[in-house]
Amino acid sequence: MTRLQLFGVGALGLAVLAAFVGTPVPPRPGQIDVNQLAGMIAREEDHVTAIDLASWIKDRKAGLRVIDVRRAEAFDDFHIPTAENVPLPSLSHAAFKATDTLVLYSDGGAHAAQAWVLLRSLGYSRVYFLRGGLGEWLDDVMNPVIPAHAAPDLKETFKRTVELSEYFGGHPTEGDRPPATPTSQRIEAMKRRGC
Amino acid sequence: MNSLILASTIGVAFGWTLERAGLGSARKLVGQFYLNDLTVFKVMFSAIVTAMLGVFWLSRLGIIDLGQVYVPETFILPQLAGGLVFGLGFVVAGLCPGTSCVAAATGRGDGVATVLGLFMGVLATGLCLPRFAALYGSTPRGTFTLPEAFHLPYGTVVLLIVLMALGGFTLAERIEARR
Amino acid sequence: MIPARAGRPYANPYYAGIALGLVLLASFALAGRGLGASGAFASAAAGVVRAVSPSTASANFYFSRYLADGVNPWRDWLVFELGGVMVGAWLSARLAGRLRATVERGPYVASPVRLVLATAGGGAMGLGAVLARGCTSGQALTGGAMLSVGSWLFVLGAFAAGYTAAPFLRRVWQ
Repeated sequence: MTRLQLFGVGALGLAVLAAFVGTPVPPRPGQIDVNQLAGMIAREEDHVTAIDLASWIKDRKAGLRVIDVRRAEAFDDFHIPTAENVPLPSLSHAAFKATDTLVLYSDGGAHAAQAWVLLRSLGYSRVYFLRGGLGEWLDDVMNPVIPAHAAPDLKETFKRTVELSEYFGGHPTEGDRPPATPTSQRIEAMKRRGC
Repeated sequence: MNSLILASTIGVAFGWTLERAGLGSARKLVGQFYLNDLTVFKVMFSAIVTAMLGVFWLSRLGIIDLGQVYVPETFILPQLAGGLVFGLGFVVAGLCPGTSCVAAATGRGDGVATVLGLFMGVLATGLCLPRFAALYGSTPRGTFTLPEAFHLPYGTVVLLIVLMALGGFTLAERIEARR
Repeated sequence: MIPARAGRPYANPYYAGIALGLVLLASFALAGRGLGASGAFASAAAGVVRAVSPSTASANFYFSRYLADGVNPWRDWLVFELGGVMVGAWLSARLAGRLRATVERGPYVASPVRLVLATAGGGAMGLGAVLARGCTSGQALTGGAMLSVGSWLFVLGAFAAGYTAAPFLRRVWQ
């Protein structure tokens, strides 16, 4: 290839990269690339399930930081094991490492989802949230339920869930799931059961 | 004063490059329109591609602030009409404003004549402009870029232009080879 | 390909173009603006009009822009840039042995005719450049690199007109 053709290939390469990157505006703290975030949300790349999180905690995933964005009182009442409390208003002051994997959670998941957008706008890329919030943790990890007449393959996967649940001191049961109640009530019920 | 020194320095580099490419020669410039010599196209679009990619990446890497770079405003009708008249004048004179200065500075009488003609043309047009203010100020669009016009991401437009330029270069080589 | 008549051969147009693009890029990065040429002519014209009749100059909306706030039109960025262009061009030609006092023209056109045509062409370009707010340097190169729609329209118009008019001017050039 002649030197000029090399230049041409180089220019083409830079142009393809430019098309991939999309905008010449550098990512600035506090600015949100709506397109990019919307795409991630639509592709469900923004959240994790409680089971995922439980596995990560149990396997001591490197760089994992579980962040509880609720107020301190709620955190003290009950929180996911290994979680740190960084209430929403303090998020911008928190100095997380770019290599940390942050998983945010709140009671129902809405605040955590909002915190996800905020942290992404600050430039953190490895951020996820628990979509079902603490409620999902309680339902799927602490009190997982398998219907009495479930299919065999479901019972197989449930074995892994049982393993996780018992690791965290939960109570897996068989039968019908009780009707959904507010998270705080579920926490109270769980506490009353004791260890 | 600083900015004027910078202006002169940039101008020196500009003039040097134009002369190196032979763009101070009217016959060479006009060759573009007789498909004898496509230097004008090659130089112009190599420059546009280089600067365009440079601007994109320097901005992306935070080295330059696009907001601080002056982008000419768009006036659809006058700029299209102006382009047509300019193109006609260009084939008659064989030189454009920048290259006429290059030609004049290197001894070409036709360069000097073009410079004089340009000056008189700008002067006369400026003096008569109030009468044509409507045309002059028509169809303003402010800062209006191709990405905005075609609803495409900036980077995609960059890629399309590079592809077009590379295609053009390949075609230009073929055309010149046949001569 | 039209080679240099005297002196060393011209540079490869692609490399020259890349160099030109880098000059343009440097201008963006260091001066926050691109290149230009016709603007210098406008500034100079404004200066001349003001010298002859200050009232005409200030009453004219085109020239008064170059004279606003008591600014000296001769100390304009583009005027200095164009001065540099001449210096750079001279230097390059001097070093390549391409300085020649001559009138470049087609083989069948006498010098006087050529000079008249050059002046007339210049006049038309002056009109076009005023309407378009620039020329090949300011609009095609600078505006082109910045993806300005009006600039690309200017380029399209100029090339279209050039190719359309060229066949009628064959006797001038070939």
